[in-house]
Amino acid sequence: MPQRLKHVDVVTIGVGLTGSLTALELAKTGLKVVGLERGAPRFTVPDFQSPAIHDELRFSIRKAMMQDNVREAVTFRNSSDESALPIRRWASFLPGTGLGGSFVHWNGQTFRFQAADFIYKTHIEQRYGKKILDPDLTIQDWGVTYGELEPHFDRFEYLLGTSGRAGNIRGTLHAGGNPFEAPRAREYPTPPMKEPYFGALFRKGAESLGYHPYPQPSSNLSQPYTNPEGLSLQQCVFCGFCERYACEHFAKASPQTVILPVLLKNPNYELRTGCQVLRINLDNTGKKATGVTYADASGREFEQPADLVLLTAFPLNNVRMLLLSGIGKPYDSKTGKGVVGRNYTYQTTGGATVFLDDSVNVNPFMASGANGTMIDDFGGDNFDHGPLGFIGGQYVGAIMTGGRPIEFHPTPPGTPKWGLKWKQAVARHYNHAVLVQQHGTSTASRLNYLDLDPTYRDAWGLPLLRMTFDFPENDVRMSQYIADKVVEIGRAMGGKTVIRGGTKRPYTSTVYQSTHNCGGAVMGEDPTTSVVNRYLQCWDVPNVFSIGASAFPQNGSYNYSGTIGALTYWAIEAIKNQYLKSPGPLVHG
Amino acid sequence: MADISRRALLKAAGVMGVAALPQAITPARPASASAQPATYLFLNSEEASFLEAAVSRLIPDDDEWPGALQAGVANYIDKQLAGAWGAGERLYRSGPWRPGTASQGYQLPFTPAELFRASIGAINKALSQAGTPFARMSAEQQDAYLARLETGDKDLGGVPSGVFFEHLWESTIEGFFSDPVYGGNRDMVAWRMIGFPGAYASYYDLIDQHGIKIDRAPTSIGEGPHGGMHMNPSIPAKLP
Amino acid sequence: MSAGPLALNHLNVGVTAGIGILCLGVAAAQSPVREPIAARGAVIAAQGAAGGAPACAQCHAYNGASDGSGAFPRLAGQSASYLAKELRDYASGVRTNAVMTPIAKGLSPDDTADVAAYYANVNAPYLPLASPDPLLIKRGEQLATNGDAAMELQSCNNCHGPGGAGELPAIPYLAGQYAHYIAFQLTMWQRGFRNNSPDAMADIAKRLGAQDIAAVAAYYQQVDASALAATQPAK
Repeated sequence: MPQRLKHVDVVTIGVGLTGSLTALELAKTGLKVVGLERGAPRFTVPDFQSPAIHDELRFSIRKAMMQDNVREAVTFRNSSDESALPIRRWASFLPGTGLGGSFVHWNGQTFRFQAADFIYKTHIEQRYGKKILDPDLTIQDWGVTYGELEPHFDRFEYLLGTSGRAGNIRGTLHAGGNPFEAPRAREYPTPPMKEPYFGALFRKGAESLGYHPYPQPSSNLSQPYTNPEGLSLQQCVFCGFCERYACEHFAKASPQTVILPVLLKNPNYELRTGCQVLRINLDNTGKKATGVTYADASGREFEQPADLVLLTAFPLNNVRMLLLSGIGKPYDSKTGKGVVGRNYTYQTTGGATVFLDDSVNVNPFMASGANGTMIDDFGGDNFDHGPLGFIGGQYVGAIMTGGRPIEFHPTPPGTPKWGLKWKQAVARHYNHAVLVQQHGTSTASRLNYLDLDPTYRDAWGLPLLRMTFDFPENDVRMSQYIADKVVEIGRAMGGKTVIRGGTKRPYTSTVYQSTHNCGGAVMGEDPTTSVVNRYLQCWDVPNVFSIGASAFPQNGSYNYSGTIGALTYWAIEAIKNQYLKSPGPLVHG
Repeated sequence: MADISRRALLKAAGVMGVAALPQAITPARPASASAQPATYLFLNSEEASFLEAAVSRLIPDDDEWPGALQAGVANYIDKQLAGAWGAGERLYRSGPWRPGTASQGYQLPFTPAELFRASIGAINKALSQAGTPFARMSAEQQDAYLARLETGDKDLGGVPSGVFFEHLWESTIEGFFSDPVYGGNRDMVAWRMIGFPGAYASYYDLIDQHGIKIDRAPTSIGEGPHGGMHMNPSIPAKLP
Repeated sequence: MSAGPLALNHLNVGVTAGIGILCLGVAAAQSPVREPIAARGAVIAAQGAAGGAPACAQCHAYNGASDGSGAFPRLAGQSASYLAKELRDYASGVRTNAVMTPIAKGLSPDDTADVAAYYANVNAPYLPLASPDPLLIKRGEQLATNGDAAMELQSCNNCHGPGGAGELPAIPYLAGQYAHYIAFQLTMWQRGFRNNSPDAMADIAKRLGAQDIAAVAAYYQQVDASALAATQPAK
């Protein structure tokens, strides 16, 4: 029998970006908030200091900051007529664990989705008609507009201190920024980062073809910055150990740098680490959550009663917790009915490797996680899809996040996979190659979804999440179209040899692509096609909010953290200004 | 590309006298050096014999730079297999065990330690019955044998040979390029070969000096202060 | 290594133009095209330059050990790229110092590169200095190697390298540098008088109290000189 603990007002399941941000704001209102984090506590000093943090084997290859698959994995198959098997080692995507979550090891790439992304179905059908959509695609509108989210994007960027250059301030275009971006109220908090050589080469090539290069917005800061919480960030030194690593310099925005020092001082907040939430408890009506049950690090079970339960875990784990707790109707791919697990989407990635002349020293090891130079000419719906027969797009950019050699040792086509010629090619080309990335939309399909695995279980005896996913043909056509454009850019950069990229089927779980897992508990205005309403409140259990990218109805072109931050503030304001005044459904479905 | 390859260094040393060279960019090993004698914790002598010979062909020694064996890769793999990684750290290990599709990835019950032991044991048994152990084959025969392991699905004690080869190759890359604290990449030879500066990394003043040539001696996590570095001023800082 | 006499005729001459090629960091964008000539730099260090700069050795000693007072930094084995940049910054007024500014203005671009190359390649003994309080050193070591969580302060070695050995070419060594010089410079950053470094230096200095500045300076001064041997040409 779990030990029953003293009642609190709010519990968050997970203490990463969304868990710490919601707790910060709600604890300020006087509510008692408990944060339950399954991983360990960790802080910039002493845990992230170099040189130990610059260990490629430990962090990039052994994935020390990621969810421990020994205890908790995900099963996977490409289609529902296959048997799902466990992803026994992470490769394609890397869910983080520990205090701060994936927002510790992220790259700092901080974008806003575009205005059309939030009204995607409406926008696409108005511009192209319904015929452009393949029959299996299930895109939909978000139920919230860019205009409603803009103040929250702004607030989030100023919390993080994001470094960038505005391309569109209140409708006026500004040279040097991204001309395709949605209008923003004001300039970024800090100027763009220094442009590395690979970025300058890309800029020159892209400009020669008439495209519109701009500096990638980065939350690894170009200069010291103090955020509205009074917390200050340092200047990034381009160490080349960003993704999959924590920052030793206080230069990357993370819960540890921009949220937790204030939150942990608030007497209304209590952090509990090593706590694995097993389920959200419901009362006998099934319409109200009474709190959560969790196991601590030594395996003892506790029941934590709470008035409000916030699901603030990694998107895949948000969906799994809803399924384990019986909240919302699970999606059935045969009938298309049900919502939990529906519209799971991912990210289309890949890109070209551009081999330059031996005289060009790229120095790939000098990099931050987000100081690329990129173009949005092929992003989202920034180009006419009418004659092309697909929807969606990708940004393209020279975005190299370091030259760590276990992961990065490019060789041109025709090089043997091992042996003396391989070694000589690695030595010759290491410092003379640039990766030009494609990164873009993932379109929702009725064939792709999440549910509970019937066979495999975690260390606590609970079913693993089962992922059924392959890239829709639409996304392959889109990515392959852009891959041709990227080869042209690579040649314009001076590339002697360019290895073409682009998404192919089948999707494989064995190669790293992106940790932007989306959907499965999507937001919307119709309870038959969404799990949460426009405020991220569960339709079926109104005192549970499911916050994060699990709410994205489909994925946009950009890295998703900026949009997660804006949505989180949007949900927080709804809780503070509406829900707390009158607990209950904020929208009647 | 490596400006300070061993050969160039020896040439330079001939001009200036070896003593004038900063310590850290002296040759990675004397010309006559062979494999570092390793104290193996996991591998038995027959397994070690195969592994040393195999990594020697995967990344061979040449006149410019040491190969995997000289860099201590066999020692690295031995230590990994003897420790938590070998025992299945970060590997979901619950059954049932079923063959999967290529996109589902590794689905065998073997831990890395079990996988290497089963595979190498099967290889050694077959080759000793055939009369020539792997280590005594010619280099060409070894390359051909490894290529058959790579592309074939010969059963090695329950492990398809392609799966074993993939583990062997990944481990070899790791041992060659990882920080020397793990027992491979001895004297940071692999980092010197490509010009990777290593664990201490702070480039704020350098990142916008486009095209600059950096030949600083690398630093390891476990290493003391690093050695000399030079930037070649004859390489211009402008776009080609 | 024991302290040796500092007479100008007591030279550590492993310095040749050849070493200059191997070891110099030269910021390519702003530098003379020709390769620095360390031997010519040695003459400037001893005798001054035609443009009016007096001999560096007057304050920094011919071997770059300076006088141990800490009024003048140790230059021996310092990064050539860093030394040349500082001289350029003195000359342009980006870094201000009543003594160094006119001297730097009296050096031509080639003089600057050559004298930087010279000092980067000399070896010099470490002067015997009084041992500071062990507790102060202990605190300094903590800041240098680990930072301080409560002050949200990272470790100095993150950028200044193992043991403060520097990260060539841009980041100077601190190991064996005089405590008075380190403490004075941190105070200059703290008060906004030194502005020619990455912004992080001022921000970091402002987090340090007087006691912590003394601690970190005391720590680096006593870091074993042999820790730096690798950055210097062997004799």
